[in-house]
Amino acid sequence: MSASERDQPAARRALGRAGESLPGGRTVGLAAGAAFWAWLVVRWAALWLGYDEPFVPSGPFEALAEGLHDDARIIDATGGPLAGAADVVAGFWFWFSDVARFLAFSTEHLPALARGAWLTVVLTIAGILLGLVIAVPLSVARVYGGRLTRGLALAYVELVRGTPLLAQLFVLYFGLNLSQYFRGLTGGLLPGIAAWVAVVGFTINSAAYQAEYIRSALESVDVGQLTAARAVGLSRLEGIRYVVLPQGLRYAIPGWTNELVYLIKYSSLAAFITVAELFFQADRIAGNTFRYIDMYGLVALFYLALVLSATAFMNRVERRVAIPGLGVDSER
Amino acid sequence: MTDRDAGTAEASARPGPGTDPDPLLRIEGLRKSYGDEEVLRGVDMALDRQDVEVIIGPSGSGKSTLLRCVNRLTEFRGGDVFLDGESVLAMDENDLRRRVGMVFQDINLFAHLTARENVTLGLRRVLGMDREAADDRAMAHLKRVGLAPQSESYPAELSGGQKQRVGIARALAMDPDLLLFDEPTSALDPELVGEVLGVMSDLADGGMTMLVVTHEMGFARRAATTLTFLDEGRIVERGPPDRLFEAPERDRTAEFLRRLTDLSEDRDR
Repeated sequence: MSASERDQPAARRALGRAGESLPGGRTVGLAAGAAFWAWLVVRWAALWLGYDEPFVPSGPFEALAEGLHDDARIIDATGGPLAGAADVVAGFWFWFSDVARFLAFSTEHLPALARGAWLTVVLTIAGILLGLVIAVPLSVARVYGGRLTRGLALAYVELVRGTPLLAQLFVLYFGLNLSQYFRGLTGGLLPGIAAWVAVVGFTINSAAYQAEYIRSALESVDVGQLTAARAVGLSRLEGIRYVVLPQGLRYAIPGWTNELVYLIKYSSLAAFITVAELFFQADRIAGNTFRYIDMYGLVALFYLALVLSATAFMNRVERRVAIPGLGVDSER
Repeated sequence: MTDRDAGTAEASARPGPGTDPDPLLRIEGLRKSYGDEEVLRGVDMALDRQDVEVIIGPSGSGKSTLLRCVNRLTEFRGGDVFLDGESVLAMDENDLRRRVGMVFQDINLFAHLTARENVTLGLRRVLGMDREAADDRAMAHLKRVGLAPQSESYPAELSGGQKQRVGIARALAMDPDLLLFDEPTSALDPELVGEVLGVMSDLADGGMTMLVVTHEMGFARRAATTLTFLDEGRIVERGPPDRLFEAPERDRTAEFLRRLTDLSEDRDR
């Protein structure tokens, strides 16, 4: 540590906070995110109350698309010296018409997608948090355990990571028929029976990946930290709990965020065990309307919005829990 | 073997420190190896209450290992260590460490906790004090090392010297019978060494029993009641610092002290 570095820790911290003042791009991003979530939450509330019509009727967009299409054909038909320019303009007009058609299509199916997004969010959050509950002891066992516990934790991680998530879901749902245990746990916006099976699958799977992220974070905590804890008279387990884990879990946040992002998208595999989540809805609608490009494009925007929201949120968390003078707040 | 025999014989014949029939710390024939490498080859010493023992010796001589055997951060193979007459091997290791504080060369403050919380963690989780009492005691000890104003700073916001003073407060707050210092100033910038040694001198003056591995000869002369020269896992010479400085009995002691003194003079220049 140099002299100048230690002279003004408070000032440096203040600077770190001020550095977060938002440049233009981030403001737009935040506004878009806020609008998306405001709409989504209101939409969920409406669905819960039994209202599943679009908030904005698709009719006007369809009329607009028709009108633009007609205009485009007229422009396209223009002959004479302006024919070349007319072609270009008509091209734009056709494109505008397509956009209007896409908007009409979107507004019509947004309620179904919102319904699917609810399940995607529930599956992801439940899977990542329940997975974390298992991952923490698993990673501690791998780093600090004796031969046996280390071996068991390793076996779990390798078995789960070494097999496809889809196969795991199939085993749980079709093989073990796990759904029979969740019969009483449905109704309202609660996930259906199959969704509970998916939560179990994601929990088991995500725990293995999270355990590896946390293991590497725990290993990056200086060994002297645990030695110092033990020298004060803390037991090994207390030292891990009060000294190593609080630091290690902070270091694990970037990797953990990565796992969260994966899980948002991998939760789409629940569609294959009949869970009507986001991808399931998109796939169903696309199949019914034969408008695959439009629907998969739209659902991609949904996933993008969810993922960007998750990373933005986790960035905030990372800053919030940063140890002053270390990590994201300090200059590198 | 001759070295060791000579050292032991010399230590036990000498009147003064270590001859109390009921010493606070008694180390007997302590042996420790890492694999095939013998790090400690039979070390005997005793510390009375309020003694300040300074251990010097070349790198790899077993100084740090010796300290770590005392609070069982390292398990030893042969010999025994007695705290207040009781073998440390018979004690619960957490109880033992509560009674024997330690200050580290690389300081090892808990990086995620403020200076105050570094001190209160042990008070609350080991001694079971409630938050308020632990805070009061922590503040008192931070004040004692001159860091009350920095109580809410995190380790990364403190200078090396400040960090090490928090490290001392952390060990001190547990109200230990004995404090171990493992080269507490070796990792510090030269200009920060003084503030740490100052705190240690105050502790020595206040009657704290201390076992200190350091090469700060000024501190050894000023504060030590006994100076021990350890080499290759054996005590080469042990006695009052003045005698070792003025009239060492063994050539190796004289040579090592001369080199240390030269080094610190080089640094002071």
